[in-house]
Amino acid sequence: MKQISELILDENNVAFHPMMGNSYQLNFLAKEIISLLKSNKNKNEIIDALYGKYDVNKEELFIDVSDFYTKLKVYGLL
Amino acid sequence: MSKLQYEIPTINKIDFAMASKYGSPVKSQKIRTEIDGVEISTLIQKFGSPIFVFSQRQIEQKYNTLYSAFSSRYPDVTFGWSYKTNYLNEICKIYHNLGSVAEVVSEFEYQKARALGVEGKDIIFNGPYKPKADLKIAVEEGAKIHVDNLFEINDLEEIADELGIRIAVAIRINMDTGVYPQWSRFGFNYENGDAYEAINRMYDGGKLYLVGLHSHIGTFMLDANAYKLATIKIMQLKERVEMDFNSEIEYIDLGGGFASKSNLKGIYQSAEVVVPTADDYAEAITNAIYEYNKSEKLPKLYLETGRHLIDEAGYLLTSVWGHKRFPDAKKGYILDAGVNLLYTSTWYNFNIELDKRYDGDNEPSMLNGPLCMNIDIIEENVMLPPLDRGSVITISPVGAYNYTQAMQFIRYKPAVVLIDKEGEARYIKEVDDLATINYKEV
Repeated sequence: MKQISELILDENNVAFHPMMGNSYQLNFLAKEIISLLKSNKNKNEIIDALYGKYDVNKEELFIDVSDFYTKLKVYGLL
Repeated sequence: MSKLQYEIPTINKIDFAMASKYGSPVKSQKIRTEIDGVEISTLIQKFGSPIFVFSQRQIEQKYNTLYSAFSSRYPDVTFGWSYKTNYLNEICKIYHNLGSVAEVVSEFEYQKARALGVEGKDIIFNGPYKPKADLKIAVEEGAKIHVDNLFEINDLEEIADELGIRIAVAIRINMDTGVYPQWSRFGFNYENGDAYEAINRMYDGGKLYLVGLHSHIGTFMLDANAYKLATIKIMQLKERVEMDFNSEIEYIDLGGGFASKSNLKGIYQSAEVVVPTADDYAEAITNAIYEYNKSEKLPKLYLETGRHLIDEAGYLLTSVWGHKRFPDAKKGYILDAGVNLLYTSTWYNFNIELDKRYDGDNEPSMLNGPLCMNIDIIEENVMLPPLDRGSVITISPVGAYNYTQAMQFIRYKPAVVLIDKEGEARYIKEVDDLATINYKEV
């Protein structure tokens, strides 16, 4: 199972992984993406969801979400 | 329905070891929005990116501070602008207008000084390589020749014969002043007697006579006391030479090497703490002259300060072209300026300043240039917030050596802008183009 689903998110934009014992500082958009990942949305669905909601062009959003995915992989969460 | 404000998504593992009494490195951002009142955005818009920017106000302020430190303590001091530190014509002119003579180390620097209207007598010709033809011109024009080696003495004697004159020269001395590494490549050694022997050789030849003694003990000297030791040795040699050869040493030249407020790699205290002040350097040198002068007349004092005078007056503005995430999680920014323009990035940690405050936490980032070369790293590890394409980064201090040592490699050498005392920004050198690259190819 992907470790992202184990993350506990709190209202102060801090995430905690109980098994790994790691804490993460997020911003609101990171928190939203993680929530979408936890509900099994794929990358394209996440980009579509954010594009509909936020003031950003889709190409730029793709770069930022891809970058975020890479970092989650480095942290062993994806 | 209007859309919500966007922010780049960020996640950073919390490292509790990073928190300290100095605050959190994930929140602090260094920001520079202007140079001498000219907006960074205006400079980029008007002159493009990347560009070197120099502040005349800061150049003059630093010059006046250092000159006052010496002239308030010593009656006869002259600065020689070190051309190799920055030989852009407009920069050299500023120093000459402030009263500097020219200190050059090659034929083209010599020619540049002459083309700027500097008289031969106001040029100090240093360096280990002075081709005879150039040396002869310098002698004919009355330049101050600082002899580096015995071959040069032979060349000068031939020139003396050819011109039918005796030539006044100075000699460069290297010495132990307790600093490491000891600069022993240039001139003649004091401790082992080579310097005295070389002077003896000059007087034996009967074609040269000594009027000056010169030393340059190193670069980025963080110990003002080293200059005191250098001055003492120079003054002791002066006394001995004047006595033994019945001559008058008119001037001594303590060279350059005064540090700027740059952060040398490997030194963990800030430049503000470790770099001696202008007064520290001035006191060390002038006190030693007064203490060890045995002549009726004080020698004229020359200094060839370069880095200390201009480093902090120079900035490089560069723009973010793109970014990527490296496999080790570090963020890598691709900038439009790289090590081709920042030769001193090997030794110094620069100030990295952003054009505005950015949303998001800082994360470990690497600043890479535009070169398709793995070595093109300006900063390997700097904490930065998420930057956008087009974000402008100001890198400083880069006024010393970076422009003159900038490589024309892969990309065109950039434009240089001067902000004058009235706060007006103007080109002093335009960006290179294909004609520049192809010039002189046959």
